[in-house]
Amino acid sequence: MMIPDLSRRGLLLGGAALAAPRGALAQPAAPRSGTLKISTLGLDTADPHRHTGSIAVQQAYVEGLTSIAADGSVEPFLAEAFETTHGGRVITLRLREGVRFHDGSAMTSAEVLANFERYRTRIRGGMLAEPMRQAEAVEAPDARTIVVRLKDPYAPFLHLCSEFWVVSPNSPGWDATITRPIGTGPFTFGTWVPNARFHAPAFEQYWQPGKPQLAAVEFDLRESGDPSLALRAGDLHIASVGRDRLTTLSRDPNIRIGKLKDIQWFFVAFNNRNPRAPFDDIRVRRAVAHALDKPGFMRFVAGTDGIVTNQMVIPGNANFDRALHEADPYARPDMDRARALLREAGVDPARIRVEMISWQNSYAQVAAQMVSRLGFQVNHVPLDDIGAQRRAGQYDWDLAVFSSGPRPDVFLRYVRLMSNGPNPVLWGGIQDAELDAMIRAAVAEPDQARRAALYNTAYRRVLERHYFVVLGHSQNLIAQRAEVQGWDPGFTWSPHWASGGIAQVSLGSRARG
Amino acid sequence: MSGALGLALPTLRALGLVAAITVLAFLCIGAVPGDVVDVLALQGDLTADQQAALREEMGVGRPLHERFLAWLGPALRGEFGQSLRFGLPVSELMWNALPTTLKLAGLSFGIGLLLAFVVAVGAIARPRSALPALVQAVNIWSVAVPTFCVGIAAILVFSIWLGWLPVIGNLWVPALILAIDRAGELVKPLYDELKEQQGAPHVRAARAKGLSAWRIGVVHVLPGAVPVLLALSSVGLAGLLGGSLTMEVLFGLPGIGSLTLNAVHGRDWPLLQAVVVLLATGVVLINALADLLHRLVDPRPRR
Repeated sequence: MMIPDLSRRGLLLGGAALAAPRGALAQPAAPRSGTLKISTLGLDTADPHRHTGSIAVQQAYVEGLTSIAADGSVEPFLAEAFETTHGGRVITLRLREGVRFHDGSAMTSAEVLANFERYRTRIRGGMLAEPMRQAEAVEAPDARTIVVRLKDPYAPFLHLCSEFWVVSPNSPGWDATITRPIGTGPFTFGTWVPNARFHAPAFEQYWQPGKPQLAAVEFDLRESGDPSLALRAGDLHIASVGRDRLTTLSRDPNIRIGKLKDIQWFFVAFNNRNPRAPFDDIRVRRAVAHALDKPGFMRFVAGTDGIVTNQMVIPGNANFDRALHEADPYARPDMDRARALLREAGVDPARIRVEMISWQNSYAQVAAQMVSRLGFQVNHVPLDDIGAQRRAGQYDWDLAVFSSGPRPDVFLRYVRLMSNGPNPVLWGGIQDAELDAMIRAAVAEPDQARRAALYNTAYRRVLERHYFVVLGHSQNLIAQRAEVQGWDPGFTWSPHWASGGIAQVSLGSRARG
Repeated sequence: MSGALGLALPTLRALGLVAAITVLAFLCIGAVPGDVVDVLALQGDLTADQQAALREEMGVGRPLHERFLAWLGPALRGEFGQSLRFGLPVSELMWNALPTTLKLAGLSFGIGLLLAFVVAVGAIARPRSALPALVQAVNIWSVAVPTFCVGIAAILVFSIWLGWLPVIGNLWVPALILAIDRAGELVKPLYDELKEQQGAPHVRAARAKGLSAWRIGVVHVLPGAVPVLLALSSVGLAGLLGGSLTMEVLFGLPGIGSLTLNAVHGRDWPLLQAVVVLLATGVVLINALADLLHRLVDPRPRR
């Protein structure tokens, strides 16, 4: 028997009403016009359930049961309301009425259930494969209700549902790999030329009245090249740009610079899976942390926009622990203390060759210089993305300098720190059963405030053990041309969410400065 | 050497070359650290178990020789399998990219050849004009100025400042940039060859007979320069097939160069292997064609 948690339910249903898409209000339909051209990230598969990183394109044609609002909270999407009961073990989702797939068929609980089943039984890779296995049973008691019964309380579930993209079971390739997804998004799956472009025409029967306002959206999927030139020339309307282009773009009167709301965080990780002397000594790890000039590093990375802290989230986030932030002993570099710690540990840095790995980013060289100031012989090996991924997984190094991008839920940061977590290599492959238990306790806690406290308890252990040193955070820059109306970057890379994104965008006339 | 043997030997040599490049490419690709599952793991949140399952599903963990043999049979029938990264047929990806590269290579080669020919012949015909200096200038430009620098400058001037041309998908500007580069490589040797031909005994004899300058040029000087032109053209054209990468990337042209770069980044070995075979075959065919034409216009190699 379901015992509704009325306060939470009330809150969520109230939130549902607040987060109702603006387009849901009656408004006269304007003729669709213009093709919005975007360049952010790529598209690695046409199968929305198998994606491992295509988090910036798929949302144009497929939508989740929930979405992540610009402030990072969960908002209703294809599910117009949801409630968590039975101490977080049962999640009931009420599906929105009038939603149609691109083939004209109606979306009901039967299709959503089929999507759950496909995730649970047929998908081995992909972002959601593991979370979906947390579901013990998924039921559809009526055409608009889905009930998910979890093995254990799993707080990130609703956040992760923002990437649970609902696809019609009629989509070609459903039984193996979907080649042409039939979604419910404001745009349809048009022409995909991998690593080149993806063209998505507007969906005429989209469920948000009057949306989309554009005739089509086109994604530039090139992984190389500088999108800032195409942006300035007007060939692109919205693009993710590097900070080295900020000065030039800021001078262009036709371009506005925005930021993703979630952050990119930078850190130096120790080899935790197979630590080598002297980095198995906590005093040496502390010495390295003291040598790292966090404010200097973040100035290099993000100029005055850099945020220096010792945590995986920034001030303003519900999981941010101000007391922990203010007590950061490494907020400023302290070379004297660092050298004293090395002496105390009996380490002569001049005789130690430090193997440091990173991607081929200039910021890693800055960190390498900071470590070498202690007198270590630093052998910095910058590798391409995959070379670094492979080398990091060999655990034959001492230090690693990496960064990690926006995530729909803080759990996706913590899960990397777990012994059997996904892709833990960038954080040195932590193996700590006690930390695992602390993170699991946080995940199982339905109450947000108590969950944040539990996460922070786990994080204190990370800091005490010096598994890695957080250097700071910066936000990814998203530049847009002046003719783009109705766009403000969201929390993650997603270009479409319930309360914003490309469904709300229109293109005005082009001006030249 | 008999005609049949004369044809068979170069064909066998070409096939051997393609086979050697194929094997070598496979070995090189195998030596590159990382695989496509690393790419997926890096982008997403895959556990060690999921990575192992994907490696098994994709067959990327198998020994190199097993993978090569499994690839070779279908490849000989023209089936190059599926892209590991995108799950699409490799042939579809290649055929989508090939027209762009052929158009870019064809246009730049054609324009470059024409430019080199006109400037070199003009410089010979009018030695006191500015054209001999232009030969030097175009040649130095080609050697000294990287095409990507010209590309960025062209984007700044024509696309951003003047707003005349788009950046993405623009074929003519990169074709012209590559054409000038190609012309610079061709024009100097062609000019030198034409000058040498002018002093050749048969040309001096023609001049002594009182033949017109045009007749001497077209009938006696130009044919002598054709072998050099052919040799240089084949090298240039072959280079354009795989060498227009920077222009493709800069101007957003989804050609073979971009495809190769992305296949390397994505450790998509079936795609990379197929592209290498395609390019190697293209280069070998161009060289074989040039050899054949050389034999037709210059009887000396047949003796």
